[in-house]
Amino acid sequence: MATDTQLKQARMVYYAEDIQLLEQVLDRLLDLSRAKRAMLIDVEGHMVANRGQGADHLDMQTLSALVAGSFAATKETAKLLGEKEFSVLFHQGEKDSIQLTLIEDRLLLGIIFDDTTTIGMVRLYATETARKVMDVMKRPHTDKPSDGAISDAYGASVEQSLDDLFKK
Amino acid sequence: MQINFGARSVSCKIVYYGPGMSGKTTNIQKVHELTPGASKSDLTSIKTEGDRTLFFDFMSLDLGKVAGMDTRFQLYTVPGQVYYNATRKLVLSGADGVVFVADSSPDRMEANIESWKDLEGNLAERGTSLKDLPVVIQWNKRDVPNALTVADLEKNVNTIGAPTFHGVACAGEGVLETLKCVCSMVCKTLNAKQLKTASSERPHASAAPAANPAASTASAGAGSLSFARRVNSASAASSASAVMDAPPAPPAPAAPKMTSPAAPEPPKARPRQVEAVTSIPKERASGWTAKEIAFVAAGIVAALAAAGLGAAWLLGAL
Repeated sequence: MATDTQLKQARMVYYAEDIQLLEQVLDRLLDLSRAKRAMLIDVEGHMVANRGQGADHLDMQTLSALVAGSFAATKETAKLLGEKEFSVLFHQGEKDSIQLTLIEDRLLLGIIFDDTTTIGMVRLYATETARKVMDVMKRPHTDKPSDGAISDAYGASVEQSLDDLFKK
Repeated sequence: MQINFGARSVSCKIVYYGPGMSGKTTNIQKVHELTPGASKSDLTSIKTEGDRTLFFDFMSLDLGKVAGMDTRFQLYTVPGQVYYNATRKLVLSGADGVVFVADSSPDRMEANIESWKDLEGNLAERGTSLKDLPVVIQWNKRDVPNALTVADLEKNVNTIGAPTFHGVACAGEGVLETLKCVCSMVCKTLNAKQLKTASSERPHASAAPAANPAASTASAGAGSLSFARRVNSASAASSASAVMDAPPAPPAPAAPKMTSPAAPEPPKARPRQVEAVTSIPKERASGWTAKEIAFVAAGIVAALAAAGLGAAWLLGAL
């Protein structure tokens, strides 16, 4: 079994207080860089936190899976070239572009922006944001009751929900 | 797996594995087809022009709120062809459960065995094994003429006694049963009794600092989840007793103290500390030590002597 802090450092559990801090960091990034949307995604493809415009029409789950897949493939390419990794990825579109920054092996910072800002501005604040994100993730877990718990009956409830979903 | 108490969500990754053309993509397509609209994402496929999976197929299955947590399963397939092993490893990374889709076609036994061994090898590279992961096998294409017998498949492929289902994925047979089974197995790995934050242990954690600061730091957040396969852990009982019985001076090398929420708090630690703190006043209250008495007596004698000498000098002077 593992402690809360170990689980946090293994990026398996994200606590409410940390998510609030991460969202504040992303909000500040959006303010300063004038980007449209900022996301923190686990390298395994799970969305951690996301802020900004466009949540209504973006399929965030698919986006996070594709971003993580894209980064994983790029990492393998880097290895073939003798690099440890490419820590920054940039995809340029006609209207919107996306920059991805790897944060210490486990998290990806994705920033979606358009021509109201520049890639330079985004890169500048992405670096600062990556450092702040790590500060949050390295804090020891502070054991707040507001973090809540998952009920003992969670496993059974999932089975029931699956049955209900496919009965319809 | 990700448990996000900020978003109140649980997200699990299920990977469909198996030899090329065994029906992995067909399985996920059927799941997508059978899932009501609001509970699924689009089905995304990164594939070749010939409709063969190049990287992965993906869909998110959203169960909504389950016991207060938004619960979703991210379903991935891997490309089955042998030469895509590097890609398979990437997709397999971080999987919480695996569905192995075996092909029952008469000439596919070798391909099934090879793919099973490939799965075993790829997990071993990541420091885990088939026994550590929820795995469900689907014997797919049970409708093909001269299908391999299930007994043969069981004997040659299912080396770990995993739960199995018969499937005809293109007709939707066995698809949902397989999915439900693996999802349930994944959720059961969340040890329900451990799924609590450390709030129940907080008073216990605060009792330790004076005796063993390092142990108390390790124990402060003790509690939540049992994911031994992905997070290194220490034995619950031995660590707990180590904290209670260790002498205060040498800090333990961050061995986490794990105590079941149901277990009563061992009563020894706090009394022992209290004893240690109160013992000093007790000794002081009992009286003066021999050294102190001797010291004071010597002082009195010296003072008297000085006074006598002073008096004699005064008398002499007069």
